[in-house]
Amino acid sequence: MTKDILVLGGGIAGIQSSLDLAEMGFKVHLVESLPSIGGKMAQLDKTFPTNDCAI
Amino acid sequence: MLDVGRHPNITLLAYSELEKVEGEAGNFTATVRRKARYVEEDKCTGCGACAKVCPTPVEDLYNEGHAKRRAIYSWFAQGIPSTHAIDPDHCRVLSGKKCGICQKKCEAGAINFAQKERVSELYVGAVIVATGYDVFDPVKMPEYRYGQIDNVVTAMEFERFLSASGPTAGHVYRPSDRKVEARIEELEKKVKKSQKVLDRFERNHEITTHEFYGAYKAGNLNPGEDLEKDQDKWAKKYEAHLENARPLKTLREKAKGFTSAKKLAFIQCAGSRDLRFYPFCSGFCCMHSIKEAIIAHEHDNDTCSVIFGMDIRAVGKGFEEYKIRGENNSNVSYKRSRVAEITKDADENPVLIYEDTKEQKVKRQTFDLVVLATACAPAKGNRKIADILKIDVDQYGFFKTDSANPLDTSRSGVFVCGCAQNPMDIPESVAQASSAAARAAQTVINKNDKKAS
Amino acid sequence: MNVKNEILYESPRIGVFVCDCGSNIAGHLDCPDVAEYARTLPDVVYAKENLYTCSEAGIGEIKKAIKEQDLNRVVVASCSPRTHQPLFSSSCAEAGLNPYLFEMVNIRDQCSWVHMGERQNATHKAKKLVRMGVAKSAGLAPLDEIESSLVRKVLVIGGGIAGLSAAQALADMKLDVILVEKTSGFGGLLQQVHRLDSGKSAKETMLTIIDDVCSRPNIVCHTQAKLKETGGYIGNYNVKIETKEGLFEEKAGCIVVATGAVPLVPQGLYGYNGKNVISLMELEKKLKKQEFSAKCVVFIQCAGARTKEKEYCSRICCMIGVKNAMLIKKKHPLTDVRILYRDMQMYGTYKEQMLWNARGMGIRFDVYNPGNPPEVKEGKLEFFQAVTGKTVSLDTDLVVLSTPLVPGNDSGSLANMLRVPTDQNGFFLEAHAKLRPLDFAADGIFVCGSGRYPATSTEARTQGIGAASRVAAILFKEKLVKSAIVADINPDSCVGCMACLSMCPCEAITYNREKQTCEVNEILCKGCGNCAATCPSHSAQLRGFKPEQLLAQIRAV
Repeated sequence: MTKDILVLGGGIAGIQSSLDLAEMGFKVHLVESLPSIGGKMAQLDKTFPTNDCAI
Repeated sequence: MLDVGRHPNITLLAYSELEKVEGEAGNFTATVRRKARYVEEDKCTGCGACAKVCPTPVEDLYNEGHAKRRAIYSWFAQGIPSTHAIDPDHCRVLSGKKCGICQKKCEAGAINFAQKERVSELYVGAVIVATGYDVFDPVKMPEYRYGQIDNVVTAMEFERFLSASGPTAGHVYRPSDRKVEARIEELEKKVKKSQKVLDRFERNHEITTHEFYGAYKAGNLNPGEDLEKDQDKWAKKYEAHLENARPLKTLREKAKGFTSAKKLAFIQCAGSRDLRFYPFCSGFCCMHSIKEAIIAHEHDNDTCSVIFGMDIRAVGKGFEEYKIRGENNSNVSYKRSRVAEITKDADENPVLIYEDTKEQKVKRQTFDLVVLATACAPAKGNRKIADILKIDVDQYGFFKTDSANPLDTSRSGVFVCGCAQNPMDIPESVAQASSAAARAAQTVINKNDKKAS
Repeated sequence: MNVKNEILYESPRIGVFVCDCGSNIAGHLDCPDVAEYARTLPDVVYAKENLYTCSEAGIGEIKKAIKEQDLNRVVVASCSPRTHQPLFSSSCAEAGLNPYLFEMVNIRDQCSWVHMGERQNATHKAKKLVRMGVAKSAGLAPLDEIESSLVRKVLVIGGGIAGLSAAQALADMKLDVILVEKTSGFGGLLQQVHRLDSGKSAKETMLTIIDDVCSRPNIVCHTQAKLKETGGYIGNYNVKIETKEGLFEEKAGCIVVATGAVPLVPQGLYGYNGKNVISLMELEKKLKKQEFSAKCVVFIQCAGARTKEKEYCSRICCMIGVKNAMLIKKKHPLTDVRILYRDMQMYGTYKEQMLWNARGMGIRFDVYNPGNPPEVKEGKLEFFQAVTGKTVSLDTDLVVLSTPLVPGNDSGSLANMLRVPTDQNGFFLEAHAKLRPLDFAADGIFVCGSGRYPATSTEARTQGIGAASRVAAILFKEKLVKSAIVADINPDSCVGCMACLSMCPCEAITYNREKQTCEVNEILCKGCGNCAATCPSHSAQLRGFKPEQLLAQIRAV
């Protein structure tokens, strides 16, 4: 029986899941197929409605 | 993003693919294939010295193909991990040629051309699928002539144009203009090179090329011994030179008139709400277009944008207000219409043909640049992941859930969140991601409990 | 604070490490020269240039120097503290040095990046910045991280779908829950709904969840109960709850706000009378009681929404309108069902599919312009049909007004009690519209469901479970540990002017009437330094950024 959790995808959803679980104390394995995490959101310049920087 | 790289409880397996999952909720064994980066993760500091010296340019997909990266690269400047990777399809060494400049340059000694891909087995209690979506390829819509008209781009391409770190450093230059500028640069190089040769002839024979060529053509050249030998070569060189110099002059003249794109059209539902492609609404594109129009106006106050859509779906918190703000402060207008066709005029300007539903008239309108708000398509890899995880996809190709248990897939212990489940915007993805985390945590806690009792 | 650190603090022995970052920094300024210069600065006993200070080798050199050179302050001149400070300060701790005796100087962003191609100037500026960093570091004091206990119990306010889902999820994660509902029963708005968008009966779906929640031993349910008072902070909230049995006190580590919203009653809109011009909720009731009958029913969307007074779109009314239109059409195929709308907000996969299906069933959709809205007269409805350019008149026996959800009238007072903000529409305002949709800026308080913004039942359920995850991320820890960089107010010199009080964005400062001074709550303080900058008597000071340190830094410019 294991307490680790596997998260597939390092976009904003995968990142948020991983951070929540890691903060709860679970060991998380985050698998991303590209060389870096960030997903589509990392390609965005700014986000609405606050026009904050996406990264 | 940074927090992920730093968190002691998170192991980041970037550049990796899931191969196999066996077992059951609380007790899965997952096989992950870690692709070879050819760069040692524990040594690379991400300084980027290697990418500066790499001689091989490669199309940069992070910038939607509007810039070049090198065969050794980081996906983007602030990427986590910052470990670089070598693209085996383009690297000279990995395609059997001579090079290895990066290896010499890397002071950390991180480059390892012999690196092999590795397979790891992970023992996990639950799986969260957050694999996202693909951007719809509008080449499939013949009426919009994407790929044929340079100044028709996708929303993601436009996003990169707006970005200060993007290919145009945040200026909305038109792709057709950038093509001309690239051509000018290319011609300039050639002209400079041929000019050097001409200069040498001029020095050797002490007359200008112009004088020489006039006499040569008129047949009244009185060549000495030296010139006799060079004259044909010189004339040929000059003719070749002119072949580049003449169009260069025209193009330079043309380029003087280039400005950034100021009249923008956004076309909603490119691939969405369309029975040929995806019948569903992609949810976020209306707001994405409004945002891009507002940012473009922020960059250049002369910019005005028209957003063409069937409905403008500003359904989130603060969205309708944002939409109105765009109309009042940022020269954004909204037209209820599904654009029928895009053609172009002689100046590469896209021309939209659409029905103005308010006036019941078919209209033509010319713009500097057209942005297609492309659909949120189910990722191509979804079927494969569904097979590996033995979970169902829905009729559209997203991972299937039940409305009573919106995070649960058809297999116990496997959860889904974000655009892998349904098209959604960022706050919804974040909220879902937290929920999926709770479901995964519950699974692990309760399965462990049962085992203990 | 351990004894070794006390002694160390006496006379500074500073080590400076200058990072080349390969060629990222060294390519644009003279790093060896900067290191050489650092050696000449007061209290610096060691300086070293590294190829990569953050690499294993670089970290090893810092650790080695701390031991061999007996360093009691470490300064690293490299990249951004945002990315690398945690690594360096934890490395200091591993070598036995208090992590707060570390100082970072950013010579990458501030020198090599912004002064690219100006080697001499960049080097000169790097030296200055290092001199400033060294001067500040001499005044650093060892600090201990602040710890506080956590009560592993959660207060959930609101017993609708969001609150119930949160309670369920929290209980599933072995946390104790106090669920407080102000009305006499659980279920919230869904109690009034006929069928869900999935076609299932709302009542049955709710009952399954309510039964489950009520049967859990670790959920204590209170109906007809109200929150009366709150105090304390993350991990240790004290709450007073009023029930029929009387007032009782509880402790909770976190609070989840799931108070929902109410449908606007369309008083004065389109001749609303509750009989043949009714609201969407009244239609739900009619359908539930099987009292519906009409030959021609017209839905008017955005009734009272997206106006000057209420700019927002209520997100869910289009879906509810279409859902009910389809239910009617299915049961009464001969009834003419029409929807007048501005934009059909059928986002996502299945809602858009509903729209396709509704059209297929023969439900008619027409756009109306808010500047020229439909007119409801006795038994008639007139509207301007944009696509034909004509005014259409319909004989209608039922008009349904799709009104928005609005915040409940007690959400303002609850916000005040919890000291959390609301937006211009009166909905609860989350910490960040994009990245923290379920958090309040105040630590330990979370929001979900329609109290935040109108949500479908599925969305509210998702958010409820999500809020549970956010809570677990705090309460699963042994104890709360936070940075020692917080403000102190010296009670001897504080005159109680309360200038700091209004400057504090975290509500961490309170006024002590007895002592007539201001006091900082260490747990709430986030170390922004606003109070220190405001305090006229310098009684408020930020640890790690004391006035003498900052002055030393400025003098070193």
